Amino acid sequence: MSSASASFIDICREGLLHLVRRPMRTALMAMTSAIAIAVTVNVISLSFGLQEDIRGDVNMFGTRTVDVGRLPVLVPGAARPSLGPAEERSIRGVLQGLDALIVPRRQAAATVTLAARNGAEAHTERFQVVASQPAYLKTLTVPVQHGRWLNDGDNVVGEQGVASCALDHAAAKRIFGDEDPAQAVGKVFELTLRGQARAMTVVGVLSDPLRYRELFETFDEGKGARTLTSSLLSFRNIYVPERLLAGEEYSGISIVLPTDVAVGQTRDRLMTIWSLDATDPIALMRGGIGVFVRKDWMDALGASASKGTLVGNVVWIIIVLVAIVMISTLNLITIRERYEEVAIRRCEGARRRDVALQITAEGVMTSLVGGLAGLPVGYVGAAILREIVQFPFRFEFKYAIAATGIAILLGFFSSVVPARHAARLQPARVLGRRLN
Amino acid sequence: MHDPFDITGHAEATDTLAVLDGAGRTYQAGSVAVEALRPQDLIIRRGDYIAVMGPSGSGKSTLLHVLGCLDRPTAGRYLLEGRDISRLADRELAAVRNLQIGFVFQRFHLLRDESALRNVELPLLYAGIARSERRQRAAEALEAVGLAPRARHEPGRLSGGEQQRVALARALVKRPRLLLADEPTGNLDTVSGARILELIEAQNGHGTAVVMITHDPEVAARAATRLLMRDGRMSRADA
Ligand SMILES: Nc1ncnc2c1ncn2[C@@H]1O[C@H](COP(=O)(O)OP(=O)(O)O)[C@@H](O)[C@H]1O
Ligand SMILES: [Mg+2]
Repeated sequence: MSSASASFIDICREGLLHLVRRPMRTALMAMTSAIAIAVTVNVISLSFGLQEDIRGDVNMFGTRTVDVGRLPVLVPGAARPSLGPAEERSIRGVLQGLDALIVPRRQAAATVTLAARNGAEAHTERFQVVASQPAYLKTLTVPVQHGRWLNDGDNVVGEQGVASCALDHAAAKRIFGDEDPAQAVGKVFELTLRGQARAMTVVGVLSDPLRYRELFETFDEGKGARTLTSSLLSFRNIYVPERLLAGEEYSGISIVLPTDVAVGQTRDRLMTIWSLDATDPIALMRGGIGVFVRKDWMDALGASASKGTLVGNVVWIIIVLVAIVMISTLNLITIRERYEEVAIRRCEGARRRDVALQITAEGVMTSLVGGLAGLPVGYVGAAILREIVQFPFRFEFKYAIAATGIAILLGFFSSVVPARHAARLQPARVLGRRLN
Repeated sequence: MHDPFDITGHAEATDTLAVLDGAGRTYQAGSVAVEALRPQDLIIRRGDYIAVMGPSGSGKSTLLHVLGCLDRPTAGRYLLEGRDISRLADRELAAVRNLQIGFVFQRFHLLRDESALRNVELPLLYAGIARSERRQRAAEALEAVGLAPRARHEPGRLSGGEQQRVALARALVKRPRLLLADEPTGNLDTVSGARILELIEAQNGHGTAVVMITHDPEVAARAATRLLMRDGRMSRADA
């Protein structure tokens, strides 16, 4: 007894011929799939793109940097903890052998007089001033975009008291208007720090690690910004030579480690100095000194971005489910017109699974073609949306691959019911009927 | 002349092709059970030529569907070449229909959008035969029914007689042991009908058993055995 059966390729070819011979119906189904895939790539490029960008951004904050700083809230009656060269020395002591770069910094609020422009009158605005050694740049992973970073020469008092400074991208834009921040290099502005006004020359501008500053600031609202460390990480700072805040207490000490393991060890060893327990907020308060591992904070931020992605995923999953229901229904209706065809195939030797396979192959091919047509539509739609709402979208090949996979699944799942229906057809019922 | 209802010794006889052993088919139409084919015996030997007559709704098509493995008996056994069909799984039944049984219907039942050649190829496709061989054998079968020049035509561009010849070529391309025809000339003019009968009889001459349903006594008269179906029960028409 022969157990040979039709090849997979032959059955797919039968399905393909069927599709080609009913172009209108095929086009309708493909269009449904195209729309679903267009929405899917659109949403995927939005939500995954956003998530990846945010992860990329926070990685520029210095993944292996640990900050030691005073906590913003003091227990009433407790003495304000001291953070100065003595503490720096104890840190150096406990971190011996870890190849740690230890950079103290001082921060202060300052005002800048902004020139009148774009109809706005001249006014002053608050900025965070960070005074530190040239090594401070190493605590970040942010590149210098224009000009240069501060060097030891900048710490020497120059003629007429003019001082050098470097700016965060956002600060440069704010101080000099919305023009290209490259133009800021070499410009002079007036900075009022500790009640003393002085002219500052911009020597360089850092690039902005926050692609979606608004989103970031929304996230950070009321959370980190209270602390000096996280106001530092909103990257709207004016970086000045150490001497401008000389003699003051440190605002914080940034420690750069060469490895992730060293970051963990640093956290543990710093706990021994201030007997801090990061998991116990009361203990943290008692010491008055906090140890802030930037990576932990970034992970929390990344997790928030994941929640946004989840919402996006729900949207495209619903659209794809709707498409599955629509295509299934359309398919099921047209299967009724195909009773004779199915009965003939069964009569001539097609097994139930051959029929089911053909219907499924037709569904997958239609949906795949529709999906491939929907890809560029989705991308163009995303590009238009980006223009309109200024929201981040990312276009990546891997999202197209994912959407193609989704198109295949869409075709598969929308064929399940029609394929079962067709496979269960009893050929004798169809073939026995007489003409009249 | 054999008695078609006497199945004794069928298992030993070398020329036994198909045996209904108390086989019947009951349809459940709502709460009513319709005995479309009453349990009975029937033997079909290799090379038999049987005509089945009978009024509408008497169960002729039901008999053909059971013989053709399109349907399973609900009572008794159906043995085809010694195998109990009622025990076979769907894929095994499909394989039997695929290569051992040829079908011709009153309504032709061709794939409307496919050429005559692709219609004839169909059983070979499901037999897993390679495309080039399929083409070759289908072309030969069309040639045998005199339709080689129409190979690329869809059924809509063929006359009724030509369509039925395509259907016959599709049945014969399998080289079947059993050819089942359900009123094959019922929808054709006399000349086309005669042509079909000639082709069927030629195949019968090559040893293929033929069971043919017909309303036409002249057509039935050409068969070696004539059965009359009445209310799901068969009898010898000439008895
Ligand atoms: N699939 C079916 N379901 C229910 N009843 C059926 C079915 N097929 C046939 N019948 C019934 O069985 C009887 C015999 O039908 P059929 O074999 O088609 O007769 P014939 O071919 O002799 O006209 C009829 O009463 C018909 O209504
Ligand atoms: Mg009938």
